[in-house]
Amino acid sequence: MGESSEDIDQMFSTLLGEMDLLTQSLGVDILPPPDPKPPRAEFNYSVGFKDLNESLNALEDQDLDALMADLVADISEAEQRTIQAQKESSQSQHHSAPPEASNFRGAASLGYSANAAAASVSHYEHHLPPPPADPVLDLPPPPPPPPPEPLSQEEEEAQAKADKIKLALEKLKEAKVKKLVVKVHMNDNSTKSLMVDERQAARDVLDNLFEKTHCDCNVDWCLYETYPELQIERFFEDHENVVEVLSDWTRDTENKVLFLEKEEKYAVFKNPQNFYLNNKGKKEGKETNEKMNAKNKESLLEESFCGTSIIVPELEGALYLKEDGKKSWKRRYFLLRASGIYYVPKGKTKTSRDLACFIQFENVNIYYGIQCKIKHKAPTDHCFVLKHPQIQKESQYIKYLCCDDARTLNQWVMGIRIAKYGKTLYDNYQRAMARAGLASRWTNLGTVNATTPAQPSTGTRGEIPTHTELRSYVQSLSNTFSESRPPMASSSDKKPALGNHLEPGAPRAQPLPKASLPPPPPVRRSSDLGCSPAPPPK
Amino acid sequence: TAMAGMKTASGDYIDSSWELRVFVGEEDPEAESVTLRVTGESHIGGVLLKIVEDINRKQDWSDHAIWWEQKRQWLLQTHWTLDKYGILADARLFFGPQHRPVILRLPNRRALRLRASFSQPLFQAVAAICRLLSIRHPEELSLLRAPEKKKKKKEKEQEEEVYDLTQVVLAGGEHRLGQLGPGLGMGLVTPTLHSRRGTGMPAHFSDSAQTEACYHMLSRPQPPPDPLLLQHLPRPSSLVDKTQLHSRWLDSSRCLMQQGVRAGDVLWLRFKYYSFFDLDPKTDPVRLTQLYEQARWDLLLEEIDCTEEEMMVFAALQYHVNKLSQSGEVAEPAGADPGLDDLDAALSNLEVKLEGSAPTDVLDSLTTIPELKDHLRIFRPRKLTLKGYRQHWVVFKETTLSYYKSQEEAPGDPIQQLNLKGCEVVPDVNVSGQKFCIKLLVPSPEGMSEIYLRCQDEQQYARWMAGCRLASKGRTMADSSYASEVQAILAFLSLKRTGGGSSGNQPQGPDASTEGLNPYGLVAPRLQRKFKAKQLTPRILEAHQNVAQLSLTEAQLRFIQAWQSLPDFGISYFTVRFKGSRKDEILGIANNRLIRIDLAVGDVVKTWRFSNMRQWNVNWDIRQVAIEFDEHINVAFSCVSASCRIVHEYIGGYIFLSTRERARGEELDEDLFLQLTGGHEAF
Repeated sequence: MGESSEDIDQMFSTLLGEMDLLTQSLGVDILPPPDPKPPRAEFNYSVGFKDLNESLNALEDQDLDALMADLVADISEAEQRTIQAQKESSQSQHHSAPPEASNFRGAASLGYSANAAAASVSHYEHHLPPPPADPVLDLPPPPPPPPPEPLSQEEEEAQAKADKIKLALEKLKEAKVKKLVVKVHMNDNSTKSLMVDERQAARDVLDNLFEKTHCDCNVDWCLYETYPELQIERFFEDHENVVEVLSDWTRDTENKVLFLEKEEKYAVFKNPQNFYLNNKGKKEGKETNEKMNAKNKESLLEESFCGTSIIVPELEGALYLKEDGKKSWKRRYFLLRASGIYYVPKGKTKTSRDLACFIQFENVNIYYGIQCKIKHKAPTDHCFVLKHPQIQKESQYIKYLCCDDARTLNQWVMGIRIAKYGKTLYDNYQRAMARAGLASRWTNLGTVNATTPAQPSTGTRGEIPTHTELRSYVQSLSNTFSESRPPMASSSDKKPALGNHLEPGAPRAQPLPKASLPPPPPVRRSSDLGCSPAPPPK
Repeated sequence: TAMAGMKTASGDYIDSSWELRVFVGEEDPEAESVTLRVTGESHIGGVLLKIVEDINRKQDWSDHAIWWEQKRQWLLQTHWTLDKYGILADARLFFGPQHRPVILRLPNRRALRLRASFSQPLFQAVAAICRLLSIRHPEELSLLRAPEKKKKKKEKEQEEEVYDLTQVVLAGGEHRLGQLGPGLGMGLVTPTLHSRRGTGMPAHFSDSAQTEACYHMLSRPQPPPDPLLLQHLPRPSSLVDKTQLHSRWLDSSRCLMQQGVRAGDVLWLRFKYYSFFDLDPKTDPVRLTQLYEQARWDLLLEEIDCTEEEMMVFAALQYHVNKLSQSGEVAEPAGADPGLDDLDAALSNLEVKLEGSAPTDVLDSLTTIPELKDHLRIFRPRKLTLKGYRQHWVVFKETTLSYYKSQEEAPGDPIQQLNLKGCEVVPDVNVSGQKFCIKLLVPSPEGMSEIYLRCQDEQQYARWMAGCRLASKGRTMADSSYASEVQAILAFLSLKRTGGGSSGNQPQGPDASTEGLNPYGLVAPRLQRKFKAKQLTPRILEAHQNVAQLSLTEAQLRFIQAWQSLPDFGISYFTVRFKGSRKDEILGIANNRLIRIDLAVGDVVKTWRFSNMRQWNVNWDIRQVAIEFDEHINVAFSCVSASCRIVHEYIGGYIFLSTRERARGEELDEDLFLQLTGGHEAF
């Protein structure tokens, strides 16, 4: 009981935010559920989890009450809001209304509002300034409306319930924002219902869930979709629009949304060397991997994700490909490139010009295959699957690939995600880090700080511990500087060689451009030692 | 002393003065000369004055200085004495200008004559050139010697237009300061931008119509090359071939004079270090364009390999860039939409949140979403079907396509209805065959359904195709880009018609007379051999649909990004011999790593990252570079294909650029920066 009521409370706090900018959103898509009778199932706009009507029905009665109360409060608020939609930024403080007001503020700053209204300013969505959603402090906020608890006569109840649903639907229709009630499965087999509107990204939903669950908010938490029928699953990327993804599910789907921790989600940012420095000698690579210090990781990430274009990990090797429509698997040599997955045709070399394109990522998502050994007679269980998000049933258009081991699988899945999502993935990670309370300066993201003040410290007491943590981190780093400083140049020349006639035999090194360029040149070391590399620094 | 026995004209030995002969001009043995009376104590400045007095000609001598031929050295320290320089009477000295004309072959392959410093270290000389051309971050560029010409006809090149900037003097006026030594000439005066007409053209290009034309050449992409020419240009056929280019880099630390460059020589200007800092389309039109051109030629001449699919994207982008720059709509930096300047933001906004446009737009468009209704022939490939195209009444509304048996049945239930959102749209067009088909791969829960729409003519095709493309991205024909999409498709079809679709297999020389393009000019010659033009165009067309909405700078930037995403991007190759190895191997130098590559197979043997590098040394005697990495990994190799100085400079250059990279965050947290980059006290 306790949990479910809290659950619902949270759901309403979410709802409050959704009314934001009702009219500005698409507007076209009226709530799908009530009655759409699509001409043909195939093109039908189908919503997962039955439809809203059903999902409302499935709610506990008191949930409904709360939902209603929220909706009402919500709508009135929304009306006010549309009037002053332009000045939305300062908005939040004006509302002196019920406890919802504070909730509302949080939700309103989800970032979409800024987006829609200020489109001409070209506000970049992943820009991070909008503070993380829903900084709801009063953790168990008392359900706003007096919970009517005379539940005795079933008929009366049913009637009331029906009315409420009707009213709720009307209000929602008014809102004209597509919303879904999503049942999210928790680790402990419990479920929580969330209202998700069409503007919300997975990140927002995660933030809501963080509040509901009081989990540690670490970056591994993710929304996860599973397809029991196809036996595939994958995590939502934080920037993905949840409603859009769920809209591809069929009406009678068994698919589920899970809330769980997956360390694979951002593995590349924690240990980029495992993906980017995968040198030939596998064993050797692994050993040195463990040792990479934070500074090197950082520069590796910056190099890979912060340049003019991102770098996709070099990845190639033999994989098994399930043949279309058959249960046989063929071994082929595949290569990952930014533009897609390629394979080496028979009798050809793996030079670029000979490669044949296997698939490009624009229209496919990547999934993990589950128990493919049994289901598809795969050589191993380390499979990944590529399919168009709309495909929900077994089809020849679903591509199954099988790796030799888990490590390879993870590298491919991550590599493909990097190729497909690019810098967005890194942005997501940094946002997740910020949310996790680890605002980090060394990730070179100035804007992170902007989010922290708005984060009113429930469990994650804001900035302070973070910084001290970072400091000590930096301290410990300094011990490893010898490994991370830029290579130094040693020189036996004392003057910058006016004559430019090099004395033969005098080993001379690193005449770095003596330019008057701003940044300090790398350490230039003068040593009077004659030839041979300078002695190892000690 | 060395002066003993010197006989002077007056026979006077006491003041120890002697005669110094100085030629006037640029190392010309026939040059006129002046003879001066000097002592070892004479200062260079005094000698210069005497020379000018002696010549007694009204002229601006400020750029002149003395070049000492035997020592291959400029005498630029005017306060130094002859003794200090060690100059004796037998010194061959030339009094000549420090800035001399050279012909630069730019990244876009155009020739440009300008005055370059022959006395400053090349690094500074290049910086001055870049300032003149208005290219930021000159540290990324350098000069190469032109390859030796094979004596073969090539009369064509005589006609080539050489742009001229020799008369242009920058506001900083370094040309006039030469006499006073190299340091002073480096006044980092940023050329003022020309705000007239908002072209962003620096003021020093506005001197004349010629210089203005020169700026346009620099800042606008060139049309695609003649496919025939392309076929005849040399292309590397192996890794070893790719090392040739890199043997020609000039030293950054020495001046042109010291490197044997003479006035009028041809030099190549190229981006040398593939680490492009802070590329900003707004402030960098020339840099962006030249980088685009270098990337384009890299691909066309197969200096870098890519897959066919990638080549189609590059071709589509070139086509698009060319179309936009030909249409003259170049004023976009000053253009109406400032939001477009922030390229990435604009792009993602476009792609991600198209729906998010202003509310009023949505409401307006709600009422007026255009529809397409027409008779089209439709074909649905199925197993076990012999049916071909059938005529249907097709209605295209929002993102949904419905078709009916006939127009009369239209209000009723359609035979089928397809929501095109998320579908794949593939053109299947043969203009000469008057075939205008749209292939749709429409996703559904069961899989993809394939359907072909056959249009009667290009007009109809363009309208429906544009609608399909938009719908696949979830947009309707109410979208503002619809009209331009239709135009883009029509334009492309006209390209196809003129593109030699009917002229068969061989590229038929320059198709320049037509306004269309030969698709062979957009792809590497190996694809010319592999595909007929009419096979090539549809594929380019297909790739084009994803880039059709880009602005000129966006398209150029996208091209550069795609180039950077290639696995072999930015690797400079050298033939080396590793210590302890008995065969030649290839060393690849990239902006973050060194790569040991098997010369025969081309496989990567080993990679070392600069971030793990401790130090490197060069033994000039045996031309060996020795590098120490973390964990006491030592690598040594001697250079075969190029001087080890070039290899060494490449490595050092990248280290330098990487510190530049790190300096970016400096303002934010200098302490942390110093903490992370300092620490040499430890040694």
